[in-house]
Amino acid sequence: MEKIIGGIKRDCYPLTPAQLVHMYTLKFSPTDEVVNIGTGQFLQCNMNVAALREALNQAIERCESMRMRLWKDPETDELWQYILPYENQYFEYYDFSEWNEDKAHEVLQKWTSQPFDTYRGALSRIVIVSLPNGYNGYYLNVHHVCMDSASVIAFTKDVLEIYCYLMFDKPYPTPMTSYIESVKNDLAYEGSKRQKRDAAFWQAELDRPEPMYTDFTGPGRLQVMRQEKNNPNLRWCVLPTADSAGNTIVYSLDVDSTNKILDFANEHDIPVSAVILHAIRTVLCKFNNNETDITIKDFISRRSTIQNKKCGGVRMHCLPLRTIMPTDTTVLESMRIIKEQQQKVFLHADYSTLRYYYEERMKYGGDPGSNYHSVAFTYQPASAKSIVSYLKGIGFKSRWYSSGRQPQPMYVTAMHRPGDGGLNFYFGYQLESATPEEIEFLYYFTGRVLFRSIENPDKTIQEIMDMV
Amino acid sequence: MFEKVKEMIAQYVEADLSGISDSTRFADDLGFNSYDFMCMLGDAEDELDLEIDEAAAGKLKTVGELVAYLEGLQ
Repeated sequence: MEKIIGGIKRDCYPLTPAQLVHMYTLKFSPTDEVVNIGTGQFLQCNMNVAALREALNQAIERCESMRMRLWKDPETDELWQYILPYENQYFEYYDFSEWNEDKAHEVLQKWTSQPFDTYRGALSRIVIVSLPNGYNGYYLNVHHVCMDSASVIAFTKDVLEIYCYLMFDKPYPTPMTSYIESVKNDLAYEGSKRQKRDAAFWQAELDRPEPMYTDFTGPGRLQVMRQEKNNPNLRWCVLPTADSAGNTIVYSLDVDSTNKILDFANEHDIPVSAVILHAIRTVLCKFNNNETDITIKDFISRRSTIQNKKCGGVRMHCLPLRTIMPTDTTVLESMRIIKEQQQKVFLHADYSTLRYYYEERMKYGGDPGSNYHSVAFTYQPASAKSIVSYLKGIGFKSRWYSSGRQPQPMYVTAMHRPGDGGLNFYFGYQLESATPEEIEFLYYFTGRVLFRSIENPDKTIQEIMDMV
Repeated sequence: MFEKVKEMIAQYVEADLSGISDSTRFADDLGFNSYDFMCMLGDAEDELDLEIDEAAAGKLKTVGELVAYLEGLQ
C-alpha cells in the first residue's frame, strides 16, 4: 500500500507475524535494546578497508531488509514497513589492534546496548574494526525486526564473497533474493488453505490435557506460584520478566565431542537438534521430580527454500514442542519421539506464534505471561563454515554480543563455530530468572546427559538420570 | 509425479536436477535437513491437495520413496 512518509511516496507493507513477535517484546520490555542483535565477523588477514567498505555497500544494496524502515501511522497507530532505496554509506573504522582483546569486545558489547529509534531512524549500524592478533572485519548492530541470526550469517557470507571478488578475483556471488517477496508470501498465508490446516493441527494440540510447567531450576518456582494462586494443582507459571536485564554465557564444545554428536545423529538418523533437545528434556525431567510431560519452546528459523535462505529479514517462529513419555523410555525411543513431534511442528510452523500463545492462554485460562515452558531452544545449522571453505587456512572469528537484555527467561542456542565447526552453546538468560551458577549447573547436566545418552542409546531415561 | 517432485526440489537446493533419480537421497545427496523436507511436504500438500501423515512421511529417505508415497495418496 502506498503511503506518504516525510513527503515521499513509499510502498508499505504490514509487518509479518515473525516481526510482530519482536514488536510485542519491545512493547512489554522496559528498554528498547532488548531487540538488538550485535555481531562481529573477523578474518585473520590484512584487510583492505576501502574494499571492505565497498563490499558492505554492495551487500546492503543486494539485501533489502538491511534497508528496511518502520513507520507508525500517526492517525491509526498501524505499523508499516518499507524499503529505502540504496544509498552509498561511509562506515567508520575503529582500530583496536593494540588493545587487550577482551576490552575491545567489551566496547562492541556496549555498542550493542545502544537502542535504535525504532520508528524514525536507521535500524542497523556497521563499523569496520581491527582487533589484536591481525583480526580485521566489521561489527554489526541490527534491530531484530529487520534481521535474525540466519539473515546475519547470509549477509556476512555475501559481504565476504563480494570482498573476495573485489580483492582476489573470485566469482561474484549469486544475488540475494527479494525480502519483499518473502513478506508478501507470509502475508498471503493469512486465510490460506495451509493456515486452516495449521490451525487444525494446533487446535488438536490444545485439545490435549493441559501441559505441565517444568523449570530449569527445579519445581520451586511452580510451588511458589501455586501458593500465590492458592491452587495446589496449578500447571502454569508466570516467569519474572518485568526487568529484562540479561546476560549470555557461552560454552564451547571441543571438535571431537561435537563430532561424536554429529556421528551419532547421522548413524541413527536423528536430527542433531533432536539429540540436544533430548538432553535438555531429560534434565528438565530430572530437575522436576521425574515429570513425564515436558514442553520446550522451539525456535524455528523457517529458512528452507532458496528464496527463504537468501532473503534476509526475520522469519523465526517459536512454537511449543511438547512430549509426554515415561521414564522407562529408552534414549533412542526418546529421540525418535522428539524427532516425530518436531516434524509435526515443522510442518505447521508457519502458524503465528502470537496467535498460538493467545489461544493457549484462552484454552487453559492462565494469567497474562503464563507459560508451560521455561526453556527456549534453537539449533542453528547454518554456520559461516561455508565462508571459511572459501578462505581456507585463514583464521575466522564470529562473535555474538548481548545487548544486556533478554526477551526470554532462558534461551539456549546451539550454533557451530565458523572456524572449526565445533558447537557453541549460548545460554541467554534474564538475571531475574537465573544465576550464573544455575546456568553452569544446567549446562553441566545437559552435557552429562547428552554424552551418557549417546554412549548408552538403549538405556532408559531413568537409567541415564541415575547415571548423572 | 517424479517431474513434480523434481520441480519442488529445485525450490530448495541448487542441485543439478538431471542427476536426480529414484535412488537420490534427500539428506545425504541433496543436503535436505528435516525442516527443509517437512516444508517440501507442506508444499506438496498445497499443490497436490493431499493430506500428509507426518510420521509416515518423515520416514521417507529417497526421491523414489516420496514419489511412491505421494502417488499412493492420490
